[in-house]
Amino acid sequence: MEYVSPFDERRRAPEPLASRRDTLEGACVALLDITKRRGDEFLDRIEERLREHGADTFRVVKEIFSKPAEPELIRRIANRGDLAVEGLAD
Amino acid sequence: MSRSCSRAGTLGAAAAGSLEARWTFAERRRRYGVATVAAPAPSTRAPSFALPSTTGGSVGLDDLVSGGPALLVFASEECPTCALALRRLAPIVAPLHDAGVRLAVVFEDPLDVAARVARDTRFKGTVLAEPAPYDTSRAYGLDTLPATFLLDRDGAVAGTAVGWDAAALSGLVGEACAAVGARPPEITGEPPRTKPGCAAKSTYDEEMLALIESAGAADEMEDMFERGWSDGLPVVPPTRSRVDAMLAGRDPRRSLGDVPPGMGEATLERVAACAVLAGCRPEYFPVVVAAVEAALEEAFNLNGQAVTTQPAGQLVIVGGPVAEAIGVHSGMGVLGPGWRANLTIGRALRLVVTLTGGGAPGRLDRSTLGHPGKLGFCIAEDEAGSPWEPLHVERGFARDDSVVTVVGCDAPLSISDHRATTPEELAHVLGWAGAATWSPNWWPLGGTSVYVICPEHQAMFGAAGWSRQRLREAMFDAVRKPARDLRLGETTPQVHAADPDSLITKWDSPDDIVLLAAGGEAGRYSAVLGPCLGMNSQMVSREVAWST
Repeated sequence: MEYVSPFDERRRAPEPLASRRDTLEGACVALLDITKRRGDEFLDRIEERLREHGADTFRVVKEIFSKPAEPELIRRIANRGDLAVEGLAD
Repeated sequence: MSRSCSRAGTLGAAAAGSLEARWTFAERRRRYGVATVAAPAPSTRAPSFALPSTTGGSVGLDDLVSGGPALLVFASEECPTCALALRRLAPIVAPLHDAGVRLAVVFEDPLDVAARVARDTRFKGTVLAEPAPYDTSRAYGLDTLPATFLLDRDGAVAGTAVGWDAAALSGLVGEACAAVGARPPEITGEPPRTKPGCAAKSTYDEEMLALIESAGAADEMEDMFERGWSDGLPVVPPTRSRVDAMLAGRDPRRSLGDVPPGMGEATLERVAACAVLAGCRPEYFPVVVAAVEAALEEAFNLNGQAVTTQPAGQLVIVGGPVAEAIGVHSGMGVLGPGWRANLTIGRALRLVVTLTGGGAPGRLDRSTLGHPGKLGFCIAEDEAGSPWEPLHVERGFARDDSVVTVVGCDAPLSISDHRATTPEELAHVLGWAGAATWSPNWWPLGGTSVYVICPEHQAMFGAAGWSRQRLREAMFDAVRKPARDLRLGETTPQVHAADPDSLITKWDSPDDIVLLAAGGEAGRYSAVLGPCLGMNSQMVSREVAWST
């Protein structure tokens, strides 16, 4: 029996993973605040700990947590950051 | 390639016992003497083919070997050894690809089945499909699946392995990698190291294929569950003829856009498949299409609704002549069971979100509790009996326009009031019922409250000459509390910032109260639906492409 699939069966080529780092020393870490409540507090603490390990950090903020990040924001993370940490939920 | 196991064990449970006794592969060959083509001899050019790929277009022998040697595996959905092989080959797809060796599988199944099995086994190599009559399988002389051919860069057969045979497959991988000067990735040594395969479908005679088809048909409903084409309830199988009837000549490739959260493309054909699965009649389809179009508008923020931990479902409100024409119910029990158009139109939209959009509960849909309306949630207004203009007129459409409005919301909370004697009193009761929605101390709500006002309650307002707006304003004015009484648990920044004695309202504005007129003529039970908050999700209306 032939059925019509409700799924989009197209396959997307997987994005290649960036190379992994062995150390945080000298790394530039993007801290993504998705604007969920208290996410900034979580990232403040993560930032402290990262700096203790010799990493540099920068903040990026989504306009609204419930929508996908803008491509421009993702580009900023990719261009400047070696690593990224996202404060996901409240 | 002659080692094989009976396929009978993979048929429907009811048929399996008798078929296993009657239709082992050896028995079938003894009875029918099915002719098979000799497998291509080593070093001879492999048979050419061009088969549809799950990534679109077709892939042929020359494509596979254009960049170096290739491993070509034949498999089928029903063969457990094939599933084992694909699961175990999956980890070496990427390293082989990086080394310039392509790993492809040809399924003796339709393309959608091939895609599903590949997804389930996490196999990310090239996936091709060849339904009956299996000319390619026959050309390769298959008796048994899985069967793996090593093809050199000239397209000649350089080796074969049958069934799951880790040593033989490691040998083929080693040869392929040696040809390109790469280190071969390791195939797992986990037992079993060998496992016999199943008979290739290409060796079946017509009677056997018919038996399998009928056994499959007996389990068609279970098959839908196994494919994941369900919301947990049985569905109507989306056969080609049913989907074509739903489409009624519309262009199946027309795209309504990408559906969050997985961004699968909502072609009309896929939306029609969801409508069939949901149990829609073809005449409901224009409403389903309009509901999908509305839900995909940016302002609706379907992405947020689809993945949130909130209970958010998508309520579809059908207004205008189409509602009565296709039987969208607005009367007794409107929010409950019994009304095919309501239940299946709402369900079709939800299936588009969960199947085409990939927003399946427990996966990308992270709703903590969900609610029953997430199966499907659709109503019409009692436009003839209501004292008010219908919602779509209030939203700027003509009364004779047929319009679908979608709004993200929680489950209904019933509001009983059989004692109020004035509209003011009843407005107070209705308003305060909404006060506890979202959270009792979350004031102002910062979103929309949808009320379904029953006919007896409508009548009290109608008799007093109250417009919708007057009722909205009365409800808004009735629900206020001092900030100090709202400072427990989840409270808003406004409550924290306010003077303790200042009065806070439940809503920012009367416009945050949406009133719908529907329900059975007897009984004074209205309802308020909890909101979907925090994601700037707007109510969206869309005209239905429909005419009498």
